[in-house]
Amino acid sequence: MAEQDSRTPTGPGGHSRRKFLRGSGLAAASAVLTSQAAVAIEEAQAEAAAAEPKLLSGEAPLTLKVNGEEKSCTVEPRSTLLDTLRDRLDVTGPKRVCDRASCGACTVILDGDPVYSCTTLAVSCKGKTIETVEGFDIGEGGVPHAFHQHDGLMCGYCTPGFVTACKAYLDKNPGKTPTLEDVKRGLDGNICRCGTYMGVFEAALAAAKTMKGA
Amino acid sequence: MASWPESPRLIGTSIPRLDGLAKASGRAKYPSDIRPEGLLFGVLLSSPHASAKVKAIDLEPAKTMPGVKAVLALATAGESTIFYQGQEIAAVAAETEEKARDAARAIRVEYEILPHVATERQSAAEGAPKVFPTGNTRAARAQTTGKPDEAMQKADAVIEATYELPVITHVCLEPHGLTAHWKGPDSITVYASTQSVMGVANDMVENLGLESANVTVLTDVMGGGFGSKFNADTWGIAAAKLAKEAGRPVRMFLDRAQEHQLGGNRPSAKAKIKLGAAKDGKLVAMVAETSGTGGRGGSNFPLPYVYKVDDRSRAHTEIFVNGGSARAMRAPGHPQGCAVMEAAMDDLAAKLGINPLAFRLANLAEADMVAGGVNRTDLYKEQVERGAKLIGWDRWKPRGQNGDGPIKRGLGLALHQWGGGGAQDKQVACIINPDGSVELRSATQDIGTGARTILAVIAAEVLGLEVGQIKSNIGNSTFPPGQSSGGSTTTPSMAPPCLDAVEKARDELFKRIAPGLDAKPEDLSLKGGKLLVKGEEKATWAQACRKLGMMPVTATGVFGPGLASTGVGGCQFAEVTVDVETGVVRVKKIVAVQDSGLILDMLTWKSQVYGGVIGGLNYGLFEERIMDEGTGAMLNPDMEMYKLAGATDIPEIVVDAYDTPEMRVRGVIGVGEPPTISTAAAIGNAVANAIGVRVPKWPMSPMNVLDALAAAEGKA
Repeated sequence: MAEQDSRTPTGPGGHSRRKFLRGSGLAAASAVLTSQAAVAIEEAQAEAAAAEPKLLSGEAPLTLKVNGEEKSCTVEPRSTLLDTLRDRLDVTGPKRVCDRASCGACTVILDGDPVYSCTTLAVSCKGKTIETVEGFDIGEGGVPHAFHQHDGLMCGYCTPGFVTACKAYLDKNPGKTPTLEDVKRGLDGNICRCGTYMGVFEAALAAAKTMKGA
Repeated sequence: MASWPESPRLIGTSIPRLDGLAKASGRAKYPSDIRPEGLLFGVLLSSPHASAKVKAIDLEPAKTMPGVKAVLALATAGESTIFYQGQEIAAVAAETEEKARDAARAIRVEYEILPHVATERQSAAEGAPKVFPTGNTRAARAQTTGKPDEAMQKADAVIEATYELPVITHVCLEPHGLTAHWKGPDSITVYASTQSVMGVANDMVENLGLESANVTVLTDVMGGGFGSKFNADTWGIAAAKLAKEAGRPVRMFLDRAQEHQLGGNRPSAKAKIKLGAAKDGKLVAMVAETSGTGGRGGSNFPLPYVYKVDDRSRAHTEIFVNGGSARAMRAPGHPQGCAVMEAAMDDLAAKLGINPLAFRLANLAEADMVAGGVNRTDLYKEQVERGAKLIGWDRWKPRGQNGDGPIKRGLGLALHQWGGGGAQDKQVACIINPDGSVELRSATQDIGTGARTILAVIAAEVLGLEVGQIKSNIGNSTFPPGQSSGGSTTTPSMAPPCLDAVEKARDELFKRIAPGLDAKPEDLSLKGGKLLVKGEEKATWAQACRKLGMMPVTATGVFGPGLASTGVGGCQFAEVTVDVETGVVRVKKIVAVQDSGLILDMLTWKSQVYGGVIGGLNYGLFEERIMDEGTGAMLNPDMEMYKLAGATDIPEIVVDAYDTPEMRVRGVIGVGEPPTISTAAAIGNAVANAIGVRVPKWPMSPMNVLDALAAAEGKA
């Protein structure tokens, strides 16, 4: 298997169903005008074939850019980004909890957006920027520091996910002073079992203040 | 009698936890993160059936799969009976987890499927298949005190109602499991996600035939247990065996569905209660028939709870179902007992037309004596007064008067109690090194409560240092015996020997360095990182320790009387809104008033109470194990349909530490369990207050709320 770049915004190979339909419609219309229908249909079929999902199997080398560092390993097409980070690259900040995009413990920042790495395929992340909690500033201006000071953690297993979601939320809302309600909405994709939410909210509000001042 | 330092500098203040930054920055390595060289990934194959006989197991197809290094049967063909979906069948270790899963799937198992009973209703139904050798149910004889039937005749008001709470599961975020690493043919190191490093070590010794000296269990940090993680478990022992067979370390953790199915649960509770009181608001009698299921385990709970009823009877029936076995879960039995008792109390107060707060205070025992000569009734009275003020109880209105529109607002309260005392046989070692570093050692562990930090707080207090200067080394089974983290016993078990160890080490340090300072040991003291001789600064801490030469100071501390106690009260108030058109309950505010003796770290203490309240809020509003009667399967073994509160579900929570001088002199008492007991009860009562109708089934889900409203209108 070659290294794949199948997760462009429009799906595999940069083609989408909508684009195909639109394209073939235009092709058919122009075919009538130019009497080259056969050629147009052939082109449309070729485009349709290219849009079909490819079946990948076996193992392949993959290089991911994690926290600014190129890291290589061998993955299967089905390997999730989370399992690849944890089991193959020893990046264990993101945690596997629900494994079904319900709890947010596996949150990483992919090209600037927080995503659930448990339901993101590793092969789709080639060439993208992956930030995990390990890469965050641990100094006084950082989100981890705020979680520590405000006791936004107990057992701590959900914490990397909350810290990452919080960082992504604050990065996307620079210079703003979020309210408690804003922070709750920003962190609503994460679940904690120890019940440490109060500390988490305080930490997020404090981090927002520090980042605004910075 | 030993005593805690007077006018402490650190004890009782808010101190961030020692391992907080490591956890918040992803640097803390959990047992499921550990990745020794050559690590293999273990996968447990569990039964898809709820009730079956294992007729044949063929491991061969798995053994020949690519990347598979070891395969192990855990059930025995022709012998093993399956009692619940998820029960252990076999285990595989392979180069990758994906390959291990494939291999587990390839194992061929032949089952003889047997009839099952998945719910209490199904198990106790007439004509139900007899699934369990000793019968599907086991009724205990009624426990009777006084003459309840006679007394009930004299009651001016009687309520008779049935209340129910579902089975819930622990949902530890880090699933149960461990990473097993053999260090030689007879020597193993285990990284376990456990509440008891000593418990897991003992299981390894017993099951693998190893000498204790050759077993090391390490739990630096772990991702939640709540009472369900005291042992190595079948899959943990399997990991060790697979690792031995493969000659490589094996990581074996349950997946999310297995965690729900076999990682433990809190039993259900059903209580048919007849409760009577006189006009003056005094309880006169209680007759209760209760039941519950803990799978094949027990489901009993305390009843009556908190309040005094002299004439009473109680009969409990165990109902067995084809579901995973119950395990201890945060305050075992108490949340159930509290919920059904407090519901009955509230309903009776409503019938009598008495304010439920006054009704409760009128029915506390005159003297409810707990350790140290403390009358818990006095505590309750003061706590209820505080809580009432914080929630604004003066706004309370009787049922049915809480809004004309579809959104009704209500207030409720509930009281709880717990022991929270500790063991007296645990030890802590304190080492002061010549370089000035200080290390504490004990075979206890920090399950997220802050145990690591409070030990360091004690040492820093005694040695005049900062908390960050103390290395609090716990979570290692080879250290001096420490307490398992359960029942709110860790702090009261570990804090006293810690104080003793550090004081002994300090005294030994003084004894050794005093001669060099031309002083007597009793002239020396420590303050602000300095060594003082007769009150005058003579050296820094580091300089003082350097005088030890090559020899560190080591001391082992033991329990001392007077440092810990047991027996706490507490109360919680809830304010809710209920939309009677949709059945949606929103909790607006919760007030929790809690005593727990001397509080060592106010920050982690408060987190424990917040966490208890939020756990109780989950129990009150969301959680429920849903079983399919048709297949015997759990329908929501995930974190999507098994509901837990997220950020926007969290109300305003006010935690009031009942931290009085009288409480401080009691010494330390644990706080893990008490604050989770009465939340669901208080929420249930607030809902009843809001809508004027008792919702007899928890959780207070839209379905249960609408069912109760429909029943009240005669439409059910």
